[in-house]
Amino acid sequence: MSNSFILRAADRGHEKILSTGPTASYVGGHPDAFITRHSSFNFHDYQSGRAGFGRIRVFGDETFNNPGCSYNMHPHHNFIICAFVLSGRLQHINTTGNNDELLAGDYYAFSAGSGGLHTEINVHREPMNAIYLWMLPDHLYLPPSYARGRFDAEASANRITPLLGTGAPLPIPQDATVSRLFSTRSGRHVHRPRSRGHGLYCFVIDGRLTCDGTMLERRDSKGLWNATEIVLESGETGADALLVETIL
Amino acid sequence: MSDRDLKRWLCLGCGFSYDEALGLPEHGISPGTRWADIPDDWCCPDCGTPKHLFEMVEIPYAPGQPTPQRPPL
Repeated sequence: MSNSFILRAADRGHEKILSTGPTASYVGGHPDAFITRHSSFNFHDYQSGRAGFGRIRVFGDETFNNPGCSYNMHPHHNFIICAFVLSGRLQHINTTGNNDELLAGDYYAFSAGSGGLHTEINVHREPMNAIYLWMLPDHLYLPPSYARGRFDAEASANRITPLLGTGAPLPIPQDATVSRLFSTRSGRHVHRPRSRGHGLYCFVIDGRLTCDGTMLERRDSKGLWNATEIVLESGETGADALLVETIL
Repeated sequence: MSDRDLKRWLCLGCGFSYDEALGLPEHGISPGTRWADIPDDWCCPDCGTPKHLFEMVEIPYAPGQPTPQRPPL
């Protein structure tokens, strides 16, 4: 018998963070710039939800609005910070020496380790929507590292594609794997967790997906644990989902 | 881990870590200072997250660590 929780899109934490102008220490950019953040787990001012799931501590569905909208350069330690760009263009700059523009389908993993800084900027008029995922590392104070990857939806359609972590193109220092299921038609997909000690967090980016018997709509999610197999079924209109498997 | 062991705490706002064994001498907290003995109004020196939003962790250090915590640049 598996265990689970369901989180509907509207039940997530919601914050609208306004730019405080060109000298901002947090959100900056054009005076009309703002970030909307829907949090699946407790983060920042949202503290009435779940604390996390397995090694996940942050799962933020964020949109950067208006040109120059940014998190200004700020420090991190230890967390493995990942971004999956869904629309628009994201400029990511960090102190391991990377200055990247990421488009829809691109993603990165920045392991802050012993210390690093980064800034996240949308320099364009089109809003930028990304999922920000933070995970605890398996060791403290690792050497900081950064890697990026690309999910090719067309080439990877209608199957579960590992993006980063165990068994994926981008390794991370944690017993976790992030995969994406981009389905263009009705289909049945079975995910088998590596062990009963691993849980799965399934987040629907778009479309509708039945996850272990629960119909999930756009931006709904479900966490499952103590399961040997998890059935994901997409309808004729397709579905797009991120799957985070994590040791519990 | 027993209650007597020195523990580590992680800031959930940015990942800054506090290790009771190391303290934060550069912020006036001596090595060996228990988490409970740090004032409740203390905040993360890197990001300002309040003390109650730190999490106790049992994550080991990477090889060669810890070295004294210092600013990232």
